[in-house]
Amino acid sequence: MAKKLVGKVTPEEKNEIQTLFERKNGLSELAKILTADNAELYEKLVKDIGETGTKFQAWWDRMSAKYAWESSENGHWEINFDTNEIFLND
Amino acid sequence: MLQYLVILLAEDSVSFCHYENRNTGNLLSINALKESLRISMLENLSVQYVFPEGELPAEYLAAIEVVENVKIMPSNSPYAEKANVLVFNGFFNLKSAKSGIPYVVRCGKDEFFTNYEKLIPLLEVTPHLSVVFKDLVKFNENDFAQYKTVLETFSKHVEELYVDGKSPQFNLLTDRMYLDKMRNCEAGVKTITLAPDGNFYICPAFYYNGEMPCGNPNDGLDIKNPQLYKLEYAPICRRCDAFHCRRCVWLNKLTTLEVNTPSHEQCVVSHIERNAAKSLLAAIRKHGEFMPQLPEIAEIDYLDPFDKIEK
Amino acid sequence: MNIKERAEAWRSGVSKNITFIVTKDCQLACKYCYLVGKNINERMSFDTAKKAIDYILSREDEFKEESVVWDFIGGEPFLEIDLIDKVCDYIKMETYRLNHHWFNSYRFSFSTNGINYHEKKVQDFIKKNHDHLSIGITIDGTELKHDLNRVYKNSGKGSYKEVVKNIPLWIKQFPFAGTKVTISSADIPYIKESVLHLYSLGIKEVNINVVFEDVWKDGDDKLFENQLIELADAIIDGGYYKDYACSFYSEHIGKPMDIKLENQNWCGAGKMLSVDAAGNFYPCTRFAQYSLRSKKAVIIGNIHDGIDKNKLRPFLTLDRLTQSPQKCLDCEVASGCAWCQGENYDAAETPTIYQRATAICLMHKARVRANNYYWNKLFRKLELEGEREEYEKSKHDGPLKIC
Repeated sequence: MAKKLVGKVTPEEKNEIQTLFERKNGLSELAKILTADNAELYEKLVKDIGETGTKFQAWWDRMSAKYAWESSENGHWEINFDTNEIFLND
Repeated sequence: MLQYLVILLAEDSVSFCHYENRNTGNLLSINALKESLRISMLENLSVQYVFPEGELPAEYLAAIEVVENVKIMPSNSPYAEKANVLVFNGFFNLKSAKSGIPYVVRCGKDEFFTNYEKLIPLLEVTPHLSVVFKDLVKFNENDFAQYKTVLETFSKHVEELYVDGKSPQFNLLTDRMYLDKMRNCEAGVKTITLAPDGNFYICPAFYYNGEMPCGNPNDGLDIKNPQLYKLEYAPICRRCDAFHCRRCVWLNKLTTLEVNTPSHEQCVVSHIERNAAKSLLAAIRKHGEFMPQLPEIAEIDYLDPFDKIEK
Repeated sequence: MNIKERAEAWRSGVSKNITFIVTKDCQLACKYCYLVGKNINERMSFDTAKKAIDYILSREDEFKEESVVWDFIGGEPFLEIDLIDKVCDYIKMETYRLNHHWFNSYRFSFSTNGINYHEKKVQDFIKKNHDHLSIGITIDGTELKHDLNRVYKNSGKGSYKEVVKNIPLWIKQFPFAGTKVTISSADIPYIKESVLHLYSLGIKEVNINVVFEDVWKDGDDKLFENQLIELADAIIDGGYYKDYACSFYSEHIGKPMDIKLENQNWCGAGKMLSVDAAGNFYPCTRFAQYSLRSKKAVIIGNIHDGIDKNKLRPFLTLDRLTQSPQKCLDCEVASGCAWCQGENYDAAETPTIYQRATAICLMHKARVRANNYYWNKLFRKLELEGEREEYEKSKHDGPLKIC
């Protein structure tokens, strides 16, 4: 798998996606222990997973449009949270 | 450098500060007394005796006079006429006291809030009035607000006296006006205490609260970590301009476990006093020139300097 | 061109570290262990942990750090895996239910002896929480070095064999994880071979330090220096520096420190919070009674009455100058010389955190000399191979997060 540096985002933009990334992981681990018995919280979680996924994807769409990063058919982008750099992985 | 030796003549020597004494009546041994006086002469230390309420044996009364001294006595002492400082426990017998010497009034905060007006006449009788709170560590947010109000009221009376050409001295209001650098208790730096058990302690409170002694007259003084009693080694206090603050190292230890770190309550109380002194100084100066060499006390936006330290 | 450096702790500087002392029991009785009061009786109950969590989470305005590391220590924390599992579930549920900002930024952290790492309950827990875990297994190096100190409390037998068999599983699950190695006087001759051994096990990050206690003998510093120089040769000549890190070597240590600009405290005690089975709060675990040889515990509150903020003030205002003796302030190689506030307190002449212990002074100076050797040799090699410039450009690369 080849990795190529294709761009960089601002620290604020990085923070936004990092928070969404962490929240996505948190929700998916919470989903392992939360059952439908806890109706109120369960409903909130299901809705939240959907919304967070949408926001997550929207960030990549917005940023790729803004920066016009190089892309490839089977590749995907990655972000380095320490350097704010975006890499294309083929 | 050490300058003062406080000698507690008995276990029930009057408390003139935040701590409580014990009422057992045991006397400092006459030998320890004499040895400590010898040391005071060798080391050029000024001696301050702290008297109990009762009478002292004749040999003690004779022994204590071998050096020049200051006598701190309870207001009801049989020797009160010879006192250099009188200590009142609360607001009793204030009027009948000997005039012309400094007074210390020890009281609780609530007692002060209720009775503070009784102190106003004393300002013309004593050259310096000190109020010491027995329960300073118990001040809460409501108390802070009340304290501020009481000092504002008190301040008006002090202002009037200054306008009349008098110069009343009151630790909670006027001490800060006259200072341009820290002047604190300095126990462990300038002052050391000889306790009735014959040992040296940082101050009487350290003795009465079971802290370890720091030497004795025979073996000499041995203060561990002596630097920690100095201002430069107190991260909060060295940045502070509540110059009059007692900076009580015992209350520090009691509340924060470190002799060099004041509690929130200590800092806020001292800053309420500082701010009251600022207002008083400005008010007095509206009536005419007053101590022009003294700088204005600056406007600040905090009551606890801890809040201003980057953590 | 890359030189692997020790990774920063997760969200370092912006996270709150909250430690649960879940048990004071351990299978081992390591000879250098600073926990002098280990016992089998003090096990945390769920109710105590829950009260601590409720106290903390209900004060979001006081615990403002962006992130949180929920740390579980012992003794051996995985002896209490049932409790830990329940506590972590409770934390996740509560932070979510309360819309607490820490739901978006948390880790569960463990420092384990690795003995029961493979057990089903531990593995189930790891699977359930994998993306939020930081687990360090302590292995001291070669079997000889490891077993010199890390012995079972009942038999006195070394624990190497039981630990090493779990290392491949651990590395598979946490490829970026590092191990922690502690060096005492008797361990010095084994440093080089131990670090290389850990590399050979696939551990890419070896965090190693000398104990802060006053255990050093005459000549230990020279022996230490020689070991670190030999290790430097092996790392550089063997090319390990590209993929493996050893915390002994850092470009940033061994410089004089500015009295005004570099006055920060080294240790995070007081910014952390630790809670034990009795529900008492400490500024760091090292101030709990089982960690202290000669002083009373510093308890800053409890789960019922809360934190006494006055007791935190000395920790939060402590700086380098106020606690250091003059020789440290004048030291030409001061940077990187560490201290532990708990050991300072334990070793001090009075019960204060304001007296810095300097037992490691000669060891630090030896480390600095070997460190100078390491970087001089490495940079020369890079220059000769035409890679120095590339290294300077690339040295801040961190691990990738795949989204």
